[in-house]
Amino acid sequence: MSLLSTLIFLPLLAGVLILVMPSAWQSRFKYVALGTIVIQIVLSAFMYMNFNADLAGVSDQNKFQLVERLPWISIDLGGLGKLQIDYFLGIDGFSMPLLVLTSIVMLVAVLASWEIKTNLKGYFALFLLLDTAVMGVFSSLDFFLFYIFYELMLLPLYFLIGMWGGVRREYAAIKFFLYTLLGSVFMLLVIIGLYFSVTDPKTGSHTFNMLAMMDPANYTAGSIFSVVSKQMLLGVPARLLGFIVLFVAFAIKVPVVPLHTWLPDAHVEAPTPVSIILAGILLKIGGYGILRICFSIFPDAAVQSSWWLGLIGVVSILYGGLNALAQTDLKRLIAYSSVSHMGFVLLGIASVTPEGISGGMMQMISHGFLSSMLFFLVGVLYSRVHDRQIPNFRGLALLMPKYTAFVMIGFFASLGLPGFSAFIAEAFSLIGAFTSENVNGFLPRWMAVCGSVGILLSAGYLLWTLQRMFFGETRLMGGEEWKLALTDVNPREVIALSVLAFLGVLLGVMPSLAFEKMNSAVLELIRLVNPQ
Amino acid sequence: MSEMLPYIAGLLRDVLSGIPHLMPELILACTFIVVILTDLFFKGKDSAATFWLCLTGLTASFAVTLLPSHQSQSGHLIFGNTLFADRLSIVFKQIFYFVILFFAVFVKFSPQFRKHSKGAGDLYILLPVILLGLNLMSMASSLLLIYLSVEMISIASYLMVGYVSGTSRQTEAAMKYVLFGSACSAMMLYGMSLLYAFTGTLNVAEPQFLQRLSQMPSLAGNVAVGLVLVGIGFKLSFVPLHFWSPDVYEGAPTTVTAFLSTGPKIAGFAILVRFTESLSPQGGGMPVFDFQGVLSAVAILSMLAGNFTAVWQDNIKRMLAYSSIGHTGFILMAVIVHSQQGLKPLLFYLLIYAIMNMAAFILAGRIEDQTGAVSIREYKGLGRYMKLEMVCFVVILISLTGLPPLAGFMAKFLVFSSVLENYSVTHSGWLLALLITAAVTTVVSLFYYFKVPLNAFLRQSEGKPVAPVKPDFLSVIILILTSLLLLWGIFPGLIA
Repeated sequence: MSLLSTLIFLPLLAGVLILVMPSAWQSRFKYVALGTIVIQIVLSAFMYMNFNADLAGVSDQNKFQLVERLPWISIDLGGLGKLQIDYFLGIDGFSMPLLVLTSIVMLVAVLASWEIKTNLKGYFALFLLLDTAVMGVFSSLDFFLFYIFYELMLLPLYFLIGMWGGVRREYAAIKFFLYTLLGSVFMLLVIIGLYFSVTDPKTGSHTFNMLAMMDPANYTAGSIFSVVSKQMLLGVPARLLGFIVLFVAFAIKVPVVPLHTWLPDAHVEAPTPVSIILAGILLKIGGYGILRICFSIFPDAAVQSSWWLGLIGVVSILYGGLNALAQTDLKRLIAYSSVSHMGFVLLGIASVTPEGISGGMMQMISHGFLSSMLFFLVGVLYSRVHDRQIPNFRGLALLMPKYTAFVMIGFFASLGLPGFSAFIAEAFSLIGAFTSENVNGFLPRWMAVCGSVGILLSAGYLLWTLQRMFFGETRLMGGEEWKLALTDVNPREVIALSVLAFLGVLLGVMPSLAFEKMNSAVLELIRLVNPQ
Repeated sequence: MSEMLPYIAGLLRDVLSGIPHLMPELILACTFIVVILTDLFFKGKDSAATFWLCLTGLTASFAVTLLPSHQSQSGHLIFGNTLFADRLSIVFKQIFYFVILFFAVFVKFSPQFRKHSKGAGDLYILLPVILLGLNLMSMASSLLLIYLSVEMISIASYLMVGYVSGTSRQTEAAMKYVLFGSACSAMMLYGMSLLYAFTGTLNVAEPQFLQRLSQMPSLAGNVAVGLVLVGIGFKLSFVPLHFWSPDVYEGAPTTVTAFLSTGPKIAGFAILVRFTESLSPQGGGMPVFDFQGVLSAVAILSMLAGNFTAVWQDNIKRMLAYSSIGHTGFILMAVIVHSQQGLKPLLFYLLIYAIMNMAAFILAGRIEDQTGAVSIREYKGLGRYMKLEMVCFVVILISLTGLPPLAGFMAKFLVFSSVLENYSVTHSGWLLALLITAAVTTVVSLFYYFKVPLNAFLRQSEGKPVAPVKPDFLSVIILILTSLLLLWGIFPGLIA
């Protein structure tokens, strides 16, 4: 069995193993999960080391690495022709960093799962199923397979939020599910439309192969999404409509304003490990989907709408930041800061410049580490006193010095202090947006300017929070009882937090570790989207 | 009389040549007679002998459909052109057999029937007749046979719905069903008589049927065809002929509901396919009846009414009833585009639908038997006590919603594909409206289906804990059905 399949299905096997293990062993379930994730990390480290950065990927199967392609579903549908779906995996500079990110964030999430006390069998089985689905999403190159994994993520998340979440978990879980499903059902229609529009040049039959969909020559003349025939759907050019539908589906995941309202609820109600996965990985699926699918398959429509995408990105940055300023719940504050930070991803991508797209990718990776760290930190506090209202704490630095040190690293890294990964990422996104007016004219300069105000806002809400909660004389809502409960971080928490802090600094000091691997893919994508 | 003599030999030859095609039905008829006698004289404990005999007869008829000689027959008409014998009817017969088989097993394990003073013997007697009726529905090409087979199912269903009518609610359901059913079948009969008057033939497959019908004033033709559709629509329970189904589904014994929501519905689709096919002119020409328009409107309304009303339901059986109205609307999409695309998506959907719906109703019944919970609100915290049942239930509901990697998704996917492919050729606005409605209602359906896991897993029970339920044979069957949904969802190619 090859590397990618192992990476995808190893957690599934471990999940099944946990299901068949007797419930009496439930204290061991977490070690099974931890062991699985550690193997996963080793595998992805191996993958990272052996990744050939010269191969661009994006639209050419020969330039993908670790490719696996097997016929999977084959049904003869009479008049519809033969339905042929491949099990088609492969990685390039866009998916590889995100796979590595996934395995690291999963490790942190598993370490955070030590706090889960009830129904461990169900919890870890669902957790590992989610892991499988996410890995699958990042490695599939067949659109049908991608969709299967994409939807497969929803179920475990629903139950993870719904069963182990906070007070309003029912509402949060179903809201999250409905939002995402609304996006993905229409995505399915576009997928089918693409299927009937595209023929595989080798076999001559219709195909779900994403790479084939990226080549305008493969579209049948007169088909719905044909580049040449310019069909209209509901009064809108079909390709533009297809792009919008796919974009909305992924934008819900990112999330961008105004499709973000599920996120604060889901994050706040989810248990800490699930918040970590949501912020650290799942939001990235949105950004990844926009790059891999929206931009690559509908480059013409992407160019056409890049101004709007940039605008949405800027609005997300500012609106998320302003909302974060107004929050009194620490977890909600971080949730809104995610909306703001993910706006940089969209802004960078919309600029279609090498700096912008690299910056967007870097922001995804950096935000993956840093938001996981922030949610972990909230979890540490919440697990001790079951409260996370900012006004209820004061002077925590005296009580929990090590914890406060980690909080400071996390906050300073997130607000984009030079030396941390977020600085590089946001700087590159903004440079991309700034130069776009000269290079290709997609984004006006004022968008970059407004985007940089977002950095100011994030400095505002993070530093203000730091000041309110951690500095000054110790005064706690719960009095002496809380004082006793608020012990400093334990070794398990130190390990998880140190890993994330280390990676945040490492990428800030040596961004080439990531840039180098994705550079050729970024250039290839730009060539595909904007050939001039 | 004597002038008819020369024809007798020909007629006999025709009848004799048709008999091999009717072997499954003949076996069922014989089984029926034998089972009646057995149940009268040596029924055994709990009518066990009746049960096993009945099962043997059903299986024998199924086995015949598997014979290579039976398979190889290409489509043609038998018995004075009143029955189709083709591949399609064989596939339908095989689906029906499994529906009836599971129905029989469920009846056997249903405490409602076991504890009933009449026993379940009389119900077993009905099974071969029902299967016979279903089979004939899938074959009928003559209006008369369509009517007879529909009535055969209806009468047997009336009996089953009222079988245990202990409470006034059940009696009401049975009464409602009979009244609504008879009114619809009367209308259908009237429509058929008009068609006969217009065309001079009862056989829808004959060219002159269509030819003469198209010569009639369009209003007359439309009224006649519309009336026949009313009768078929009653079986399918599409909007606006759906009013009976929630009440009947709720009032009938759950096992019977499981059957009603699958068997007759699938057979109704078989007839609808034949009927629309025979009325669609080959190679152009003015259509007698705008099937695409009417069925699309009906499908859209069914999807909307079914799914949106289901959101407000609290009784699990009523919710499933409305959901099955929604599914009818969805399946109608496959019928609307079937002529160009072949029937694979339709058949696949029907098969998966049968499995999902039977399993869902059986689980609802089982939970009711074990805990007395009939409303979804009472499912609170049941996930802890009935782990296997609830996990299977959730998987089935996910499949009903149409999420991967379950078979319900593949079924929806295939139907979506055929409609989209058809749209890209015809650019019909109806099809686009259908697609959008179907997509939106899928999201809506998630909302009500997920009330079950919401209550079973996300909420804690308030009352006393329920004793853990021991797995029995029925659990095994439920597990098998659930695994089939998963297996066919990942490898749909296994259904040849």
